[in-house]
Amino acid sequence: MDIPLFGDTLFVPTDVMAAWVFTILMAIPIGLFILKKKKVGLIFDYVKTTNHRKIGTLYILFGIVYFFRAGVDALFIRAQLAFPNNDFWVFQGEKYNEVFTTHGTLMIFFVAMPLLLGLMNVVVPLQIGARDLAFPFLNAVGFWLFFAGSVFFNVSFFINMTPEIGWTGYAPLSTEQFTPGAGTDFYVFGLQISGLGTIFTALNLIVTIIRHRAPGMKMTRMPLFAWATLITSLLIIIAFSVLAIALYLLMFDRQFGTGFFSGSEGDPVFWQHLFWIFGHPEVYILALPAFGVFSDIISTFSKKVIFGYPIMVISIALIGFLGFMVWAHHMFTVGLGPMANTFFAITTMAIAVPTGIKVFNWLFTIRGGVVRFTTPMLFALGFIPSFVMGGVTGVMLSVSAANFQFHDTHFVVAHFHYVIIASTIFGIFAGLYYWYPKITGFVLGEKLGRWHFWTFLIGFHLTFFPMHITGLEGVPRRVYTYTEADGIFLLNFTSTIGAFLMGISMLFLVWNVYKTHTNGKKVGNDPWDGRTLEWYVPSPAPVQTFDPMPIVKEIDPLWYTKLENRSLRTTTSTRPAPIETESFIPISMAMALFLLSLGLTFSLYWLAIVGGIGVLGLFIVRSFTDEREHVYGKEDSYE
Amino acid sequence: MKKLGLLLSLLLLTGCNIAVLEPKSETASDQAFLIVFSFWLMMIVVLTVFVLFVRFVYKYRYTDNKKDFMPKDVKGNKKLEATWIILPILLLAVLAVPTIAITYEQSPVAGDQSDHEGTHIYVTAQQFSWTFEHETGKEVQNDLVIPEGESIILHLNSKDVIHSFWVPHLGGKVDVLPGEELVYVIENPEIGTYQGKCAEYCGIQHAKMTFEANVVSIEDYERYVNED
Amino acid sequence: MNDYESALFKDKQIGFLIYLGAEAIMFTVLFATYLIFTPAEQGPHPTEVFKAVSVILSSFFLLSSSGTLIAAEKGLAKNNQRKFITWFAITLLFAMIFLGLEIHEFYTFVSDGYGISVNVFMSSFYVLVGLHAAHVAFGIGWMIVLFIHYMRKIPMSLFREKHKIFSYYWHFVDVIWVVIILLVYLPYLL
Repeated sequence: MDIPLFGDTLFVPTDVMAAWVFTILMAIPIGLFILKKKKVGLIFDYVKTTNHRKIGTLYILFGIVYFFRAGVDALFIRAQLAFPNNDFWVFQGEKYNEVFTTHGTLMIFFVAMPLLLGLMNVVVPLQIGARDLAFPFLNAVGFWLFFAGSVFFNVSFFINMTPEIGWTGYAPLSTEQFTPGAGTDFYVFGLQISGLGTIFTALNLIVTIIRHRAPGMKMTRMPLFAWATLITSLLIIIAFSVLAIALYLLMFDRQFGTGFFSGSEGDPVFWQHLFWIFGHPEVYILALPAFGVFSDIISTFSKKVIFGYPIMVISIALIGFLGFMVWAHHMFTVGLGPMANTFFAITTMAIAVPTGIKVFNWLFTIRGGVVRFTTPMLFALGFIPSFVMGGVTGVMLSVSAANFQFHDTHFVVAHFHYVIIASTIFGIFAGLYYWYPKITGFVLGEKLGRWHFWTFLIGFHLTFFPMHITGLEGVPRRVYTYTEADGIFLLNFTSTIGAFLMGISMLFLVWNVYKTHTNGKKVGNDPWDGRTLEWYVPSPAPVQTFDPMPIVKEIDPLWYTKLENRSLRTTTSTRPAPIETESFIPISMAMALFLLSLGLTFSLYWLAIVGGIGVLGLFIVRSFTDEREHVYGKEDSYE
Repeated sequence: MKKLGLLLSLLLLTGCNIAVLEPKSETASDQAFLIVFSFWLMMIVVLTVFVLFVRFVYKYRYTDNKKDFMPKDVKGNKKLEATWIILPILLLAVLAVPTIAITYEQSPVAGDQSDHEGTHIYVTAQQFSWTFEHETGKEVQNDLVIPEGESIILHLNSKDVIHSFWVPHLGGKVDVLPGEELVYVIENPEIGTYQGKCAEYCGIQHAKMTFEANVVSIEDYERYVNED
Repeated sequence: MNDYESALFKDKQIGFLIYLGAEAIMFTVLFATYLIFTPAEQGPHPTEVFKAVSVILSSFFLLSSSGTLIAAEKGLAKNNQRKFITWFAITLLFAMIFLGLEIHEFYTFVSDGYGISVNVFMSSFYVLVGLHAAHVAFGIGWMIVLFIHYMRKIPMSLFREKHKIFSYYWHFVDVIWVVIILLVYLPYLL
């Protein structure tokens, strides 16, 4: 669409127009709603908060928003692929490439990550008896960095500068020579900023789990979700640091004329190594927390303690460890040679063993129990067979010579959607339904929950199962069209139907949330007959929790007090809680980094310098407004 | 093997041809064997899990007469846990043997490490087309002609970004890198015409970067490379 | 420091050490990058670029600044204000001299025609040593802020805490420099 502007005509594609119109149409009623209900104060409250539940809520809220955006991207992809030689709207060639890039990047970095970090933020302190994360201020910084990075990445679409390099950003396609536009820079800086925030949140969680457990809550008594969070956080520290440097080098290639990944001396495969040294552990960063969620939920709704707790912990750690030794299985076809291909094939197969252990331990937790089919449990049960299907195709993919055929086809697309959706997304849904009362005080409706589950599950299998076959029929990933002669119309059409079914299922979730908040009743501490400490505190979790502090004597401490009809022993002498504070500095820092990135992206160096000075200045402001100054005693003197 | 492939396609309710499981060269046959072999090995795992899953979920589901039933806590079982550590390892060991054998034979290598003998083809990829150069110096775009029954030695180079060379019927893919030659060998292709494509996302018209692979008799090939 | 403060301090220590761990991984990747691309096939070779004098001189100041910082910390522990201020100021001075030398080195390189985009060796040199220099610059700012806090007389226990955290950072920056000497400069100066 051409728009006249100051005498020039500006070309704006219709999808970008639609995005503007849609955003404005959405913003008006939301804005009016906020004004009418006088909720502006609430927004400010959340902007300056450092409370773990509120920050977790923010993570979840924005994760869901981006989930819808990335989901719509997926529907565009599927609509374009529904028929042979199809021309759906604008999604051919360049636009198709943009839409699969944003779909992948958003889903991994701005949907799965924040939703998991949100759940960890809300739940982990409650599960281990901590009053907040160890560094509340840093927690807020972590969230706002994620927020700034995600907004930065999303802005690109509205100015028609979407990256089109795939979520893997393979060089040399991602270098300046082949994608000279600003799109790739939005990818680089968006991930860089939010990745930094993720590192901060991960270290925060580690310190919280190591240092802030309730008295008697030994490491070996922690719920498995807390264990998964601990190992995941360690993976994040390593993996995201590698990603940070990979993006840093790519930034130099694009902005300052270096040639690490392209040109006569650069090495495009070096990017792939760095990316996958990050990228493969990232898969486990997404999966392990979900494993933790399922462990807790399956145990709760089978009325049994988890089967083989020690080996469950060991296998989480083992998966995390092996996760760093398999990255080159994404690179079997780049000519690393037979030695490397064999090595990575074997390590990849090895990782199936601890994963298998976990599956059987879940099954044997169910065995002999009483299984209640609540919505969280349905997602957990749906996860087991679906995930196993993704797991076995993973083993098939590890067969390196067979991988020459599978690599970069729809078979791989099917595989990773099977593992990531079945573990991470099911895990997130299960966790949201399960812990929703701890966030809001409401339990989501069970009937709509079941609708959501079944439509999502069926849609998911309809979408991705056929892709195994289209992949073997020779369809590479990331192609926007096919011909009738390819003979894959029916399978593709089935996938499209499935994708729309998944889209519809999300409407059940929205409807459920709406209904629950208009008609729902508040519930008490323990709506699910839970086992762990988070069900000991009120719903929603108050700002001041664990006062007095419980003393823990076994795994699932709450459960055994209920069985034996006693109450948890408590104490008032506890270690000091992290100091709560309220501050606009975190969001200001994030905004300053946003400006810095914007300046670098468009070579507006004055803006970059302003942003940089802003960040450093806020460091100083922070140092002078340290909340500890008022709390610390003055018994030590200066002389 | 073909029977298994057919069975697979029936199982999956589709009448159409699955290129990868209809190999037309020795290379692709070995790969198809690995695919089918690993598929059936993994079916053992899938079936085990499914059977246990259905049985446990059904048998131990909540019913009204279990309202006050309190299940016994089972902390674990060393023997059972050992079983599902050891059996998968054995299963994977069975899978690893042919994997290693075929991987060693087929892995693409850097240009200077290759000493294969056979028919050499120099493949150059660029956004968004393929150029095939034969030993006689004949250059053709997007149309690969190779002789049947020979060892076809592909020397792959890219002029710009990374591409990936793939003819599903003839064998798995190999990346085409800028600045570094890779060598990939296709053994014993059978006569026929097959679809070839770029499998690594390479830019706007990635989807259209296709070519045709014609396997012809040796005499026809000789004639082809010597005519202009 | 009372129990309350030392518990919070321990949190902060562990948290900061984990952060330094993340930084260590980042530098490791940059060292790997340097080792992969150096020496480059074309363009300047490290032996013609590096000058031993400037490396020795800047190393002297940066490495001894770790020692002077320890001396300052001892002064702080003994509540000896003179000693603390003197050594702390010397640390700050040494850091500034190091940064000046570093900027001078980069400046001479660039004016000799060895800019960042000359070849991959120079590129990987600048992204690594440049990031380290940025850390030193940040450390200088940090020291100045700490000094102001000292003058403001914030609670002593809080100041000790802030000082300790800074000293972790500073020693870390020093260790990175030692590795830079060993991997970046030394092989081409011997």
